[in-house]
Amino acid sequence: MINFEEELKKFHPSMEVGEVETAIYNQDMTDMADLMVKIVKEAKQEEETTEEE
Amino acid sequence: MNCYHCGVRLTEENFCTNCGADVGTYKTIMMTANRFYNQALEKAKVRDLSGALICLRQCLKFNKAHVEARNLLGLVYFELGEVVAALSEWVISTNLRNRKNIAEDYIAMVQNNPSRLDTWNQAIKKYNQALLYCQQDSKDLAIIQLKSVVSMNPKYVRAHLLLGLLYLDAEDYTKAMKQLEKVLQIDHGNTQALLYMKEAEKILHPTDEDGVAKVKRKKKEDIVKYTIGNETIIQPAEFHEPHSVTGSAVIYMVMGLVIGVAISFFLILPARIQNAKADMTEQLKEVSEQLNVKSADMESLNQEMDSLKTLNEQLQSEVDKYVGTDGTLQTMDDLLNAVNTYINNPDDVTAVAEALEKLASEVDINGTSDAFQNVYNAMLAKVGPLVAEQYLEDGLQAYKDGNYSDAITNLEKAKIYDVENDNILYNLANAYRKNGDDANAALYFKEVVEKYPGTDRARKSQRALEELGVDTTEG
Repeated sequence: MINFEEELKKFHPSMEVGEVETAIYNQDMTDMADLMVKIVKEAKQEEETTEEE
Repeated sequence: MNCYHCGVRLTEENFCTNCGADVGTYKTIMMTANRFYNQALEKAKVRDLSGALICLRQCLKFNKAHVEARNLLGLVYFELGEVVAALSEWVISTNLRNRKNIAEDYIAMVQNNPSRLDTWNQAIKKYNQALLYCQQDSKDLAIIQLKSVVSMNPKYVRAHLLLGLLYLDAEDYTKAMKQLEKVLQIDHGNTQALLYMKEAEKILHPTDEDGVAKVKRKKKEDIVKYTIGNETIIQPAEFHEPHSVTGSAVIYMVMGLVIGVAISFFLILPARIQNAKADMTEQLKEVSEQLNVKSADMESLNQEMDSLKTLNEQLQSEVDKYVGTDGTLQTMDDLLNAVNTYINNPDDVTAVAEALEKLASEVDINGTSDAFQNVYNAMLAKVGPLVAEQYLEDGLQAYKDGNYSDAITNLEKAKIYDVENDNILYNLANAYRKNGDDANAALYFKEVVEKYPGTDRARKSQRALEELGVDTTEG
């Protein structure tokens, strides 16, 4: 049996046309490639630090 | 595919031939993104928009710069009625690749029709309002609002879903099914719609669980599938409502009609009758006012008519007096008779005087024409002194005989023909005194005193006045 109140929680207000800019700025633009590059950079830095020691 | 480190195009090797960076993992990530994009494309082709949406989001999590995935995601959002989300994806896409990007065409297509964009925006606002109504437990208002939303933007899946949910909550399963079917026509893989539909079918066929499955299978067999451009349309060949639902729908319809008629009879009709009565009363009032005004006018006209009638009668009687039996003016006849009598016998002044006296008694001489007055005065001048002398003699004789009444009559006539004669005035005053009329006697004595001062008659008149006890010093 469907619980109306619970189902209602799944519905959220839609953004209006005037809020397009906000929608664009709020997008999380981090992807797996970014994470990989970050990890590689960190690994390199760690490697360099170890070599100096 | 380019190296993430130096940007040089990569080869089949797992390292960059330019900078030597390890690109094996990077290549795997990019390929995974492409795999998700391909899956999304397959799903979108069969209108499984929900599935496509999930795959495209996954794709963009692996490669945010996947322009084709972003463009397709915008299209999917647009098809689901999410205009704002679609626009934002297309804008990001054009920022990633600003040349030869179809997203520019999509944005232009939306922006070049401001009225349609405004309609979509209104639909979004109403949807948000309906959601608020739902949260405030004003479900009837929410349904009305959502009906308006889906008429403005028939592809707004979220609105159809919420409307379906509200109908389910209101136990109006037929309407709920219709809304959910519309959702599935747009998005064949919408799990939320499928879940609601299953729930509705459970209620409609509570006894046989297998029956539901049969119906589902039958539905799947009876679908019609065809392609228009890039879109594959799947729709049921025909839709039969369950008999029980049809029967109840008929009953509801009849009940609705009865309730409608009852409402119009008990609520609308009395109000209209009341309005009609009010209008009639108003009209009656206006007519009454007009009638009163007319009555007043008529009354005044009647009064005017009566006064005119009276005036007419007076004038007629006056005219009758003047007009003789042959239609000529009687006064004119009398004057002519007087003139004729004088011409035939100038010595018979008595006859002429009688004719003139008769004329004077019948008409106001001063009110006659100038010609009439001239003739009358001329006749009076001719016979006046003689007549006055005649009347004076008769009057004095009657006075001597002690017949004061006749004396007064004759002397009054004598006074008419000779007003400047002190003898007539003095004897007239004495005749009145002898006849016991002291008031008239005093009047004529006074006239003698005033008109002929210093004469013997004036002195005698003064004494007589003193004897009568009249104060002669009064103005």
